[in-house]
Amino acid sequence: MSDVNYGTIIKNGIFGENPVFRLALSLCPAVAVTSGVKNGFLMGVAVLFVMTMVNATVSLLRKFINPKVRIPSYMFIIATWVTVTDLVMAAYARDVYKQMGLYIMLIVAFAIVLSRAEMFASKNKLMPSIVDGAAMGMGFLLALVLLGIFREFLGKGSLWGMQILPGKPLLIMIMPTGGFFAMGLMMGWLNWVDRKFFGGTGASSGGH
Amino acid sequence: MKDMIKITVSLVAIFIAAALIMGVTYKYTSPVRFVAEKKEKEEALKAMAPDATDPIVPSGTWSSSHGKPYEYYLASSAGKPVAYISSTAGKGYSSFIAMLVSLDTDLKIRDIKVLHHGETPGLGDQIEDPNFIGQFKGKGLSQLILLKTETKENIQAISGATISSRAVTNGVKDAVQTLVDKYGAGIKTATAQGVAK
Repeated sequence: MSDVNYGTIIKNGIFGENPVFRLALSLCPAVAVTSGVKNGFLMGVAVLFVMTMVNATVSLLRKFINPKVRIPSYMFIIATWVTVTDLVMAAYARDVYKQMGLYIMLIVAFAIVLSRAEMFASKNKLMPSIVDGAAMGMGFLLALVLLGIFREFLGKGSLWGMQILPGKPLLIMIMPTGGFFAMGLMMGWLNWVDRKFFGGTGASSGGH
Repeated sequence: MKDMIKITVSLVAIFIAAALIMGVTYKYTSPVRFVAEKKEKEEALKAMAPDATDPIVPSGTWSSSHGKPYEYYLASSAGKPVAYISSTAGKGYSSFIAMLVSLDTDLKIRDIKVLHHGETPGLGDQIEDPNFIGQFKGKGLSQLILLKTETKENIQAISGATISSRAVTNGVKDAVQTLVDKYGAGIKTATAQGVAK
């Protein structure tokens, strides 16, 4: 399979089919954890790792997994890697775990992880699947960091916990409500950029 | 029929492999985690009574209304007691909320620390917010009542996290009750009297 273009896969994951801004998947965690840049970043890293591992595993086992029970199989693979991540972090990254511990287990239910296993890894060889998982994870990470910067700066006047502005310019931004505002504004802005400068058609609609 | 066997074999094989991976990971990470958690607990215990010069050792165990055993401690400085400390927990929305409670020698709450919990991020985890946990400071046993309205005298629940708030209040109350029972004799204060069990 020499016709696999890794560049396209990476671009696709980060921009063309960005999990949050384009596919509109996994919006609940994206709103929940992006009240600060740091939380968004840590969550993104955890998702990046889990997605890469899940895509790799699903791709390796794609001939073995019976199509009739593929969803339970994927779910079990995802749950395994999430549990492993949780256990390893609890032992070796205590400080991070104290902040992120509650969120790690939620990754099991992220639509984006399951959707990449189904859409890509189950139909492709190992290397492209790993790259796709990593690229989609990067896209998710970038989206969370962007949202985090936007919300933390406006909501708390700080970045990564460091105070930059005096006071809190727009407190609502760190509330869940503000998360939806921020996401809508970002999505709209990115669509505008896409239409204006790249001649695209904008994002698809709908999601979970 | 043949299909059924195939499906079963394929699923069972994945389940066994997954169980093996998780088991091995648990085997190698749990000792590290155990040591780290023990150390954190000791540090937390020390932080509950920083003015205690003598090492804080367990003075006994008690069991709470949900049947789990907890330890209580006497923190003293040069032989004189400075604080009474107890570990405790409350049954929250989706987990047990483990806490440390310390009392002054006049049996008022001195400090509370939430050790770990598994409550909903964004809702239940607000119990760690200083605005909520700080309410307990200086309160006596009879004041530990959870209200949903604004209050200075009692404890005000977090809106959207009433169950978690109640769990913390009940856990703290159990611990304070125990400490009052163990150490309250002789220091007959108003708070220790007339309290329904």
